[in-house]
Amino acid sequence: MSQQSDRVAGNIYDLGYRTYDGARLGRPYAIQSLFTYSLRSAFGLGRRTSSKIIPVALALLVFVPAAIALGVAALVSDEVELWSHHGYYGAIAIVLMLFAAAVSPEMVSRDQRTRTLSLYFSRSLNRRDYAAAKSLAVIAAMLVLTLGPQTLLFVGRALATDSVPDYLSDNAGDILPIIVTALALSSVIGLIGVAIAAHTSRRSYGTVAILAVFLLAPLIAGIIAETSGTTGARIATPLSPLDVAQGFTYWVFDERLPDGEALDIANLQGWVWGALVLAYLGVLGAIILRRYERIPA
Amino acid sequence: MPLLETRALSKRYGTVKALDSLTLELEPGIIGLVGANGAGKSTLLKLLLGLLEPDGGAATLLGYDVATQGPELRQFVGYMPEHDCLPGDVSATEFVAHMARMSGLPRAAARERTAETLRHVGLFEERYREIRGYSTGMKQRVKLAQALVHDPRLLLLDEPTNGLDPAGRDDMLDLVRRTGKEFGIAIVMASHLLGEIERVCEYLVVIDAGELLRSGPITGFTERTQVLAVEVESGAPALVERLRGAGLIVKEEGRLVLVGTAEGPPYDLIRDTVADLGVGLVRMEQRRQALEDLFRPATPDDSMEEADVAAV
Repeated sequence: MSQQSDRVAGNIYDLGYRTYDGARLGRPYAIQSLFTYSLRSAFGLGRRTSSKIIPVALALLVFVPAAIALGVAALVSDEVELWSHHGYYGAIAIVLMLFAAAVSPEMVSRDQRTRTLSLYFSRSLNRRDYAAAKSLAVIAAMLVLTLGPQTLLFVGRALATDSVPDYLSDNAGDILPIIVTALALSSVIGLIGVAIAAHTSRRSYGTVAILAVFLLAPLIAGIIAETSGTTGARIATPLSPLDVAQGFTYWVFDERLPDGEALDIANLQGWVWGALVLAYLGVLGAIILRRYERIPA
Repeated sequence: MPLLETRALSKRYGTVKALDSLTLELEPGIIGLVGANGAGKSTLLKLLLGLLEPDGGAATLLGYDVATQGPELRQFVGYMPEHDCLPGDVSATEFVAHMARMSGLPRAAARERTAETLRHVGLFEERYREIRGYSTGMKQRVKLAQALVHDPRLLLLDEPTNGLDPAGRDDMLDLVRRTGKEFGIAIVMASHLLGEIERVCEYLVVIDAGELLRSGPITGFTERTQVLAVEVESGAPALVERLRGAGLIVKEEGRLVLVGTAEGPPYDLIRDTVADLGVGLVRMEQRRQALEDLFRPATPDDSMEEADVAAV
């Protein structure tokens, strides 16, 4: 008690430092704050301009096909459907990869390099909370790039028709698949980025490693699939995250896979793609949590 | 309620024992944690913060169990690590406010306290600039600010003067002392420099090779021996003889005559004797047993031994 009054007395002499008796919102609030702070920093908000250029440019790029599709439909004919919802991810896959490769190291490698983790782990959140908040921030940032253009496409087409309610009732069946696939793709691609970047403190190493995984996996899968037929494709495609994402998307939208591709050759039941997505998320989550349990701080 | 309590706290890295069954109980205050590099100071702080898992034993801080109540406890603890820990591409304001929210402060309170705390540590206009352009001294101030921004009840400082020049060192120690004394925040400050601990702390814990060597109030360490050092131009042996004759415990050390004092320093007697002998008094000073002596290997012929006995 006497200590308390000493502290109050201190106020009189030094206006620079005062005690704080306000709310302390604890762990859930700290996690939520880390999430929003990280999500902002994913797009370079609150940072110098040069940190904004790459993420914002990539984020804008994924909207280009949707904008073109809507423009063509408005100018030429609304009969032309340049991109379907299920085909859209294929058009922007390379951008999604680049975004994950650019942003994930920014999110998780940097704190290791600057050794800021000690400051986080000595506060109201624990290691798992940090890993979860950072992972969710990357996923949320990816959602801007997946759900964003899909929404633009859907809303744009609805507005372009003569009757919005008719369009909505005709196409309401697309809404849930759009949300489910956007979540699945953002999670798989984002978590791959985090899982890799969490293992290095060098941002450039992280970026290169992430790109290597995304670009080499489908290449290898394609080669195996072409040389050894259905069995080979069934072994190869699950190893390529982008193939799994595509298989899953086509299954959710209930569409036929394009002829001749590795996915088509594999000829797997639709639910297998669903199971593979869950397996990916489980394994990636485990890798990330394991890393953060052991990372020195 | 004790500030800090450890029971048989142990940590090893491979075969090296960093902390060997440390049992300690400390009351709130400004506590110095002293030991050579590698003695286990940083390990102890990290165990208390939950940054490291102990291999054995338990610890409570502010009444919270370190192992099971970490997030609640750490709302009330500030930590300034020994190493660099600041990102380069944000401003001090942005970073410290972010850290305040990581400790549970609502957004508006975080912003307000950030401004106050940065002012308290002596950062003004530069706080809006990116940290990468800061000097070492400014970075140390930001590190202290992030540890203080949520108004902790306990501050754990690991070598806060690391990398600072003498002036910066003085500023930092002054800041730490004021923070502890004027605002009643308990402080545990680890340092391998005893002089720093002496200047700032009230209580001292000495660890060596992961084991507790001594712990007690700092006055207990420094007032154990009262020795008066008398420097004369010449004739020291004669002075020694005369003073011994007067019943004092005296030791000659080059041109210095060390006088052990049990009942108050015999200034007058020495003055009169010196004048009488005409040996030319250069200076006379009260000598504390410096903290450094704690680490000096004791020799059988320790010059202070006799004086020690006299002082007890």
